[in-house]
Amino acid sequence: MKILNCPLNGPRNIAEFSYGGELHRMPDPSKCESREWVEHVFFNENKAGIVTEWWYHNASSYWFLAERNTVTDEIIRTFPASDVFKERVDFSKETGEAQE
Amino acid sequence: MTTTTPTHHLRRSQLYRWHVNALARFEEAAGSAVVTEYAGADNEVNQATRLALVDLSTLPRVGFKGPGAPDWLDQQGAQLPDSPNQAVRQQDDSLIARLSDYELLILADLNLNSTLPAILQDRWSLASANKTYSVPRSDSHCWFALTGADAAMALSKVCGVDLRTHKFADQTIAQTSLARVNAIILRNDLAKTPCFFLLSDVSSAQYLWHAILDAMVEFHGRSVGIAALRALEAKPQ
Amino acid sequence: MMASMNRLPAPYGLLLDRNESITFSFENKSYQGYAGDTIASALAANDQWLLSRSFKYHRPRGVLTMAGQDANTLVQLPADPNVLADREPIVPELAVTGQNYSGSLNRDRSAWIERFAKFMPVGFYYRAFFRPKGIWEKWVRIIRQKAGLGVIDQNYKPVYFDKQYLFYDVVVVGGGPAGMVAALQAADSGAEVLLVDENPVLGGSLNYARFDAQGQRAGVLRAKMIADVEASDRVDIKLNALCNGWYTDNWLPIIQARRLYKVRAGEVILCVGALEQQAVFHNNDLPGIMMSSATQRLIHLYGVRPGKTAVILSGNNNAYGVALDLMDAGVDVKLIVELRKNPQYDDIARSAIARNIAVKTGHAVYAAIPGPDKKHISRVDVRKIISEGTCAAQGEIIECDLLCMSVGYTPAYQLPCQAGGQLGYDDETSSFTLTNLPDSCRLAGSVRGVQPESETDSMNFPWPIFPHPDGKEFVDFDEDLQIADIVHAVHDGYEHVQLVKRYSTCGMGPSQGRHSALPTARLVAKATNKTIAETGVTTARPPFAAERLAHSAGRSFYPSRRSNMHYRHLEAGAQMLQAGAWYRPAYYGPIGSKAEAIRGEVRNVRNNVGLVDVSTLGGIEVRGADAAEFLQRIYTFNFTKQPVGRARYALLTNEAGVVIDDGVACRFHQHHYYVTTTTGGADRVYQNMLKWNVQWCLDVDVANVSSAWCGVNIAGPYARHVLEKLCRDVDLGAEAFPYMGVREGTVAGIPARLIRVGFVGELGYEIHVPQHFGEALWDELMKAGSDQKIMPFGVEAQRVLRLEKGHIIIGQDTDAMSNPLEVQMSWAIARKKPFFVGGRIIAELEKAQIKRTLVGFVVNDRQAPIPLENHLVLDAEHMVGRVTSCEYSPTLDKPVGLAYAPLGNAGAGSQIIIKSTGGVRVTADIVDLPFYDPDNRRQEL
Repeated sequence: MKILNCPLNGPRNIAEFSYGGELHRMPDPSKCESREWVEHVFFNENKAGIVTEWWYHNASSYWFLAERNTVTDEIIRTFPASDVFKERVDFSKETGEAQE
Repeated sequence: MTTTTPTHHLRRSQLYRWHVNALARFEEAAGSAVVTEYAGADNEVNQATRLALVDLSTLPRVGFKGPGAPDWLDQQGAQLPDSPNQAVRQQDDSLIARLSDYELLILADLNLNSTLPAILQDRWSLASANKTYSVPRSDSHCWFALTGADAAMALSKVCGVDLRTHKFADQTIAQTSLARVNAIILRNDLAKTPCFFLLSDVSSAQYLWHAILDAMVEFHGRSVGIAALRALEAKPQ
Repeated sequence: MMASMNRLPAPYGLLLDRNESITFSFENKSYQGYAGDTIASALAANDQWLLSRSFKYHRPRGVLTMAGQDANTLVQLPADPNVLADREPIVPELAVTGQNYSGSLNRDRSAWIERFAKFMPVGFYYRAFFRPKGIWEKWVRIIRQKAGLGVIDQNYKPVYFDKQYLFYDVVVVGGGPAGMVAALQAADSGAEVLLVDENPVLGGSLNYARFDAQGQRAGVLRAKMIADVEASDRVDIKLNALCNGWYTDNWLPIIQARRLYKVRAGEVILCVGALEQQAVFHNNDLPGIMMSSATQRLIHLYGVRPGKTAVILSGNNNAYGVALDLMDAGVDVKLIVELRKNPQYDDIARSAIARNIAVKTGHAVYAAIPGPDKKHISRVDVRKIISEGTCAAQGEIIECDLLCMSVGYTPAYQLPCQAGGQLGYDDETSSFTLTNLPDSCRLAGSVRGVQPESETDSMNFPWPIFPHPDGKEFVDFDEDLQIADIVHAVHDGYEHVQLVKRYSTCGMGPSQGRHSALPTARLVAKATNKTIAETGVTTARPPFAAERLAHSAGRSFYPSRRSNMHYRHLEAGAQMLQAGAWYRPAYYGPIGSKAEAIRGEVRNVRNNVGLVDVSTLGGIEVRGADAAEFLQRIYTFNFTKQPVGRARYALLTNEAGVVIDDGVACRFHQHHYYVTTTTGGADRVYQNMLKWNVQWCLDVDVANVSSAWCGVNIAGPYARHVLEKLCRDVDLGAEAFPYMGVREGTVAGIPARLIRVGFVGELGYEIHVPQHFGEALWDELMKAGSDQKIMPFGVEAQRVLRLEKGHIIIGQDTDAMSNPLEVQMSWAIARKKPFFVGGRIIAELEKAQIKRTLVGFVVNDRQAPIPLENHLVLDAEHMVGRVTSCEYSPTLDKPVGLAYAPLGNAGAGSQIIIKSTGGVRVTADIVDLPFYDPDNRRQEL
């Protein structure tokens, strides 16, 4: 069984975690074209190479991110989601813009 | 110590029937009943130095989380562990476990002398405690203690984390899977006897109790009452 | 006791305890052996060499490796088929029989099959039995009967198997000399070490092989090494323990007795040794023909003389050590048939030759010839090698009852290759390499290739394969595959070794190609004009050896969840059902009375008052300044203007606009919502909320408190009346606490959250209390309601009640495609919100026409079979929808249900045709929902 290094709990059997899909930045729902939105919802890049993924440690209810090489299955690094998501996201009614 | 029966109280452990069937003697603990000892069992203290399981589910505990929780607890005079997955004993003998940067768990001591859990519960309100949110740990989790020299070996039958005493220090925490249910494992030695507090989903209490008892069979472990733990804590074996 | 005829005196028989003799039976005949004997060694000591019949042709088979590496020794124990006779220890009164024969092992009536072998080439099954249509069904029974291995004991009583996690800095697999040295060095560096060996003693080849002319060196080394390893307190030793695979990050399944150890190692050192290989010639499978290492194991481990007159087929110098061992054990070594034309001898070989053993260089055993009983070798046909694989037309016949094969080794590459290693072969030197392993997995000892100690020949003779016009030169003993089978597979177009394996089944038997992989690679290489290095061997996936399902299945953990009221349900006679891990009361009453019980519970809710345990519902606290904003984004509805003290229906869609959960959002404070979820959805919803919250960075905290709260729904016209007796700090009046109101208070002195909901369509309150108070709450309510005829009701009655009221159950009335529009929940969508999860897609869906809709139907035909969930809705013969719920409604006295129907005939007054039980077409009338109390007077009492 593979070991995944949780930023909160340290190295653990990967069975302690749930996979949360690829990291996508959501396009602005009020401005983007339907096509772009549909691709965001339904398509994964499915890249052969290094991807960033969501992982969840079940016992501590902790989401974090991992960089993994999908060709070798090597996990390059794991880090808190707060390294990427630092600021409040707002959906403004007036402009329809997602403010970051 | 006041002897009592579990059904005398509105608040009851999920396991009280099992204890009754095992001829437990109960005492009152914070408006509920906890097993003092089991009738007919010889030397529970000795048993607890080797391998024993205790149900502490009715003992007080409280949790707080949120970005303001560390500061708020600090203001209440609590001593917090520096980093997640560590625990610190308080002046009143209660124990504060840090589950993440912003989540804390406060456990009463075995003699119920500690006042901190009740004080915190009383002082907290959504409005007054800035970005601090109480979590009902008394009812979300059951609370077992697994004690004795063979405790880590027994746990190795149900847990994939290395909990051997030379690898998993006293007052450290593993949030992991125990017999396939999520659990908080907190090592809290009683003087020189290894002791693991196991806190897990309360609705799985019966399942987990039996899964752990099963893992204990080959080491001749069995359940004991809280009196044995107190004795170990008071007198180094 | 009469000594067994082939038993050698002590000190032969390292594993034997000669003070304890054991009586057992084989094929109903009684035998005696010693403690420490395996079934095969004890039988060999008694000159019983025939152990089994081969899989396909029912040929007699006997000891081949004496190491549990082949399928020849598979026997039947009363409770266990396919036991390896050369591994399984004998115990008193053990009853062993052969398997895979008709009649008896000695006189197998199925042995005639062999005569038709030429009509059953590889691919025979694929080609012979598929025409005409249906013929396979007839053949399969006959084939299964003939081809099965062993018999399963249908009365088997499960025994306790379990698992344990272990952790080591270093795990050394293989307790031979290399493994012991590796373990000691690792321990000296301070590591915690586990040393694993599948044998009952450490020592590996030191226990049986000959390392010097005098035969002294191995014993001395062995004693020293074992003493050192046993003295080290950093080395744990597991014997009779099989490391059955290598998994990512050094995760090792180690099987010992009835336990599967899941071992995590910092580093692994594989000292798994090498596997001796057979030569391929006519009748090479006869009992009495075995690996040279098997003869040495018989002699040294079990004190068994492996024959009286021996011929040794040699391709390397080890054969000469074997010759010395045989002579020392009193076996007459007639001849060494030396494949090499110009052998370069080492000291051992020279000292054997000095003892006047006849050697014929450049010769091969062209064929083995059985005795008159056809069950044992009696002669060999020895011929001069003319060219690679070709012998002279005439040979010399030599009598013998033992033929030892010493022609080469493959490394035990299975575990190394699982760890990522690549097996290489040098066609020049006929030697193997293993490369490319991860840094944390190392090799030591002969798994790195068996190397001669001095400048002598390779241990592998390059081409020990000699085709015969009559075939029966076995490449794969498990599957009875001969040279021609492999060559034909290539000629049939399966040129890749992986395809050859799948087409011919070569290497797919119990020994998993341990002996067939190399000759197959050689034959395929030759047939395709490639090198062996280019051809390679097939993948050897875990497990290395067959393992009992009990080891995987044993002591599995199936968590179960119970509410604090669990025993009250049992005491009230509930039949429990499992919903996920939860136990829930289905209905109260004996199993035979299900229908009446449900009807009674439904009527009591409609007429009096009922109590149902809803503790399994999920509960999530959403708190903070952005609590309302957070719900606004997560759920479809509008929450910002929701007053404190009110609950609102909360419908959850995923990003694709599919309905995935529902519940109620209770606002207890400006900054505090308590949201319920479905029983099965709690963890998933919570996980989703956390993930969004991490991305949005709102000022909100999300906490899963599902288990912390125990709950009941008290419902029925008298619900308020009963609750008033126990709850004095909340005004329960219809105006003070209206429908969809929420309050905090106490019930019977227990702190409680009260939610006025209408899931079952009556006046009702959900009462949520801290989990440990659940049983007391139940007792108090049952007591307080006794005058109003309160009765518990179960999940089944609740389903009927909610169906009458037209409420859907997520996951039952929705599927992986259901959107809110289809399930008639447009009203639950707040379209003016700037964002909610799924909102963008739902907006798109609203622009297009939906294709189906969830409708309510009643069946008025009293003769019709009641439709069941997933019965089809038909338009002529085409499926146009399906039933999602259907129950007999005691209130309406007819079946009512929900079904997806095409939009065209979904209006009230239309009809749909349902293909019900037995294919009966049932006409159902579509009606407006709900079926019961459309004006909501009952729930708003």
